[in-house]
Amino acid sequence: MFDLINPSKIFYLIEKIINFINSIFFIILIIALTFALILSPPDYLQGDSVRIMYVHVPSAWIGLASFTSIALLSILNFIFKIKNLHLISKSIAPLGLMFTCLAIITGSLWGQPTWGTWWAWDARITSMVVLAIFYILFILANKLIEQKDKANKISNIIAIVGLANIPIIKFSVDWWNTLHQPSSIKLDGTSSIHSSMLLPLMLMFLVLLLYCALILLMKYKTEIIRIKKKNIKRI
Amino acid sequence: MIQNFLTMNGYGFYVWLSFAVTILSCSILYYKTYKTLKKYEKDFAKELIRLSELDRELVLKKSKVASQVFASYNKFI
Repeated sequence: MFDLINPSKIFYLIEKIINFINSIFFIILIIALTFALILSPPDYLQGDSVRIMYVHVPSAWIGLASFTSIALLSILNFIFKIKNLHLISKSIAPLGLMFTCLAIITGSLWGQPTWGTWWAWDARITSMVVLAIFYILFILANKLIEQKDKANKISNIIAIVGLANIPIIKFSVDWWNTLHQPSSIKLDGTSSIHSSMLLPLMLMFLVLLLYCALILLMKYKTEIIRIKKKNIKRI
Repeated sequence: MIQNFLTMNGYGFYVWLSFAVTILSCSILYYKTYKTLKKYEKDFAKELIRLSELDRELVLKKSKVASQVFASYNKFI
């Protein structure tokens, strides 16, 4: 199975996927933005400020999913010692950090008109800041520690420790009294969001997922070339 | 109608700023990632050119990655 992530084998495939995403990306982006900014209705309580949800919620989902992926890859890397897994983790980290920061910033922009404040040390917001700190530590460990094996080990530990924060973020709105509302979308089918708002939300999520795939593949490709360049004499 | 769309019934500043920050951040990260990828491709191709013809042929034969990067670099220039 791990042969599938062999860089030499998938390099050509990566190129193909990048071209495919590039060809469909802008069409889906325009459709998603049209739904998010024009076609979806304003909320009966929050008015048009609810449209911030279409960038805030997907950003938060991607921030959480990225860190969970990094942590799971780190666990696999600890067990199986596959260096390619660490390459993938390193490629995911900047994306995850960016989307976590975007979730915090857009959340703050949403907070001002709805809660009357830009910021509150609320359980959900604080745990998202903690997540951003874990991302920064993971990236810094890889950048600042010169011995690659040591850097891998330390960043893996940071990711695994940080994994404990993910359920805290998820359930913070249920465990504590927070300004942040509980989630409106549930996987068990008891979502309280109307389909006229769910559709643009999912479209924006799809656009951002495609964007993530594009960046991830480009970063992974860069890492492969960097390693091949370093070992050019050994090829 | 256009006025309403732009002002978002008083929430325009927050809504447009949220979308602008998101699009701007994504564009900057895309541009940086793309530039880094192109720089590495160029450097790798140059490194291949610097090799002796025999070594280069051997590397291109053995490594699919090297041959693809080299081919796309030659196509680009």
